[in-house]
Formats: sequence, structure tokens, C-alpha cells
Amino acid sequence: MRFGSILLTVAAALVIQMAIAQFTMGGRWIFDLVLVAVVLAGLEWGPPAGIMAGTIGGLSEDLLSGGVVGVGGLAKTLVGFAAGAIGSQFVLTTAPGRTLILAGASVVHRLLMLALFGVIDQQWPHVSWAAMLTETAINGFCGWMVFHGLNTLPGAMERRRGSRRVTRRP
Amino acid sequence: MVRRQTFTLLIVTCIGHVLLVSAQVQSKSGLPVIQAAAFGTFARVQGLTGGVADTVQSIWNHYFALRGAAIENETLHRRILDLEADLQRQRALAGRAQSLEDTLGLKQSQPAPTLAARVIAGNPSPAVLTIMIDRGTDDGLRPNMAVVAAHGVVGRVIAPISRSAATVQLLVGRNAAAAVTFERSQAGGMVVGGLSPTVLRTEYVPALADIRAGERVTTSGQDGIFPAGFLVGTVDQVSHAGSAIDREITVRPAVDFSRIDMVLVVLTVPRAGGPS
Repeated sequence: MRFGSILLTVAAALVIQMAIAQFTMGGRWIFDLVLVAVVLAGLEWGPPAGIMAGTIGGLSEDLLSGGVVGVGGLAKTLVGFAAGAIGSQFVLTTAPGRTLILAGASVVHRLLMLALFGVIDQQWPHVSWAAMLTETAINGFCGWMVFHGLNTLPGAMERRRGSRRVTRRP
Repeated sequence: MVRRQTFTLLIVTCIGHVLLVSAQVQSKSGLPVIQAAAFGTFARVQGLTGGVADTVQSIWNHYFALRGAAIENETLHRRILDLEADLQRQRALAGRAQSLEDTLGLKQSQPAPTLAARVIAGNPSPAVLTIMIDRGTDDGLRPNMAVVAAHGVVGRVIAPISRSAATVQLLVGRNAAAAVTFERSQAGGMVVGGLSPTVLRTEYVPALADIRAGERVTTSGQDGIFPAGFLVGTVDQVSHAGSAIDREITVRPAVDFSRIDMVLVVLTVPRAGGPS
């Protein structure tokens, strides 16, 4: 069940990421919804789920990117594990707290990717801090919406069901 | 505390990734079968998603976002009139050039055949600047074919290519390059991506060439991929670092890479070897 949920979360993020990315090509609005899914899996289901989501999401991205397969996988696996480890140490149930973790994960993930590309190319790549900040902000915003939705949606549905039961009573 | 099993899983996964990366970096030959299979499968899914997104966008553009359409229509009518006049002038000039070619017995120059393609997806990894188009090997696409848009050069076709979809490496992407000519000074050189998504770097420009900001930069055709004469962009900045010879020239691309819907693939089979 958990593996199915992880797979579904990552696959949905990947499809949405690719569909939206075609309208934002050129790097003005950089975002990584797969990373949001990986952090969500880590925080929601623990470190093993974070590792699994990171591996699946990262490798899928690498395979579809046409670049070196494994770079994104490694970076996302580490980030997924870290998110899971933090999530299991602290009780992070509120959307702002989780968003903060996601923002940190975005920065760490981008730096890890740059470092790995630097090792492969044998030269430190160009770092655009503005792009990194934009990515962190957009990822954070998307993550906040997802976390907030996950917190409020089940309660809202329960309340709706309850109100229906009350109105049906004679 | 994180359990021991989790740490073991993490270490095993990381070692797996490192081995995977090492194997590719060492070999660098051909395309892994797993990559081709994943691309082929996902291209179909993305084609479907792209179709749905296009339908939604089309409904919005054609029914809900028509505010100001009348004014735009009028402006476009005026523009058409201007362009028609321009076309007449160009036709007259072309006719004269044709007759001169006939008189001098010059070999006829043929325009390169092109194929229109729709952009169906971007790249899932924000660091990699590639797009996916809805044309593949069934339409005659091959690696290294040039891809252009209405305003200029977009990039080139790279692997993976499936039967119905292909990947296009954008000119502003990492490892992308094109041989160019500076139109005013007629100096040759190369534009290289990877600096920023909106700026291209130049290399191999003769040190004494008089390059100025605003100068148009077009493809020279010397790389064997991009046919000569396509607009790449304009010189953005010529900055001198220390001496007059040691300078950095940046080019602003003619194409807005943040808005690419349709592209044209130049179906000329590229010569062996490329810029990157």
C-alpha cells in the first residue's frame, strides 16, 4: 500500500512537472515538483519511504532528461532520507513547518546537483543564486499548498459527511 | 532514531547510484537501452497530457481571453498591409536576383526542407534545458538535425528519439554550441550555452575583430549542424577584462526560450561531427 502511494505521488509529480515545464522553459521559473513529492513522502511515511521516493523520482527524471542517469537519483535519495529523518525526529504536522523543511531541501538538492555535475565535468558549474532562490520559493509555495491541502482536506470531508448525517435526521 | 536497516538501505542505494553514474561517465558510447525504453513510453503519456493541456489552453484563448481582440485585429490588419508592401518589394528584388543568376549561369540555391513540430513537454529536471517535440524517427528525424523557430535558432535534435517524439537540446543549455558569423564585422566564432538561460557566451572569436553591441549574429554553417544564415541573436555586451584582446562577448538569443510552442526541424541530414 505504502509503495503504491509513493509510486503514485512521484508519478503524478513527474507528469505535472513535465506538462508545466513546457510552458516555463528557459529557466525563468525553475521548480521541481518531483522534489516536493520526495520530501512529502519522507515527511509523511518516514526515511525508507523518502529513500524510495528519491530513488524512483530521481532516476525517472534522469532517464527522461537525457543526461547522466543516477545524478538526480543520488541527490534526491539523500534529500528524501534527510527529510524522512527530520520528520521522524520532530513532529512536523503543520504546513509552515513542513514548507520550511522543503525550502531547505530545495537548496541542499540544488547544491548537491551542482557538486555532482562539478565532479563529472571536472569544473565547478556556474551558480545562479537568483535561480536557486526562485526555485526554493516556487517549490516552497507548491509544497505549502500540498501540505495545507493534506491537512485540511480530510477534516473538511469529514465535517461535510457529519453535516449530511445531521440534516437527514428527522 | 533512524533504524539500522534504513541506513543500510540508504548506503546500498547510494552505492548503486554512484556505480550507475560511473559506468556512464566512463563509457559515453551509445544510448542505454533502459533510457530509450523509458523515453519511448513516457513520450506517449506526455503526448496525451500535452494534447489535454493544449485543448484547455485553446478553449481559454478562443473563448475566455478575447478581451482586446478587436484592437489587436485592427493592428494586425495594418501590419499585414505593411508586410504585403514589403513582400512586393522583396519579390521584385528576388526576380532581379533570379534573372542575374540565370544570366551568370550560377548554381540554384535550394532552401532547406523543414517540418513543423509541437512542443509536448519540457524537461523534468530544471537544470537540463531540453524540450520534447511530437515528431520522431517516423517523420525522418535524426540526431543533430537543427531546430529553429520563427525568430531564430532553438537548438538541435539529440538522443533519445522515439518513433513519435524527440528531444531537442536548447542552444542555451549546458554543452550546447553553434558556429556563428557576426553580421556586421563578418567575424566567425562560436556561441556556447550554459552561462544563463537568457545569455550565450562566445568562443574562438578573432581577437582583432571589431565586434560591437547590437550586432546581429547568424549561423555560419561550419559546424555541420545548423545551416548558414539562421538568426541566433544579437551581441549583448563586449566587456574587456584587463587587456583589449582579452574580452568576453555575450549574445542575447533571438528566441524567447520561455515561450516555445511550435518549432521547425530542418530535415537536412547533418554532416558527421558536431560542435559538442
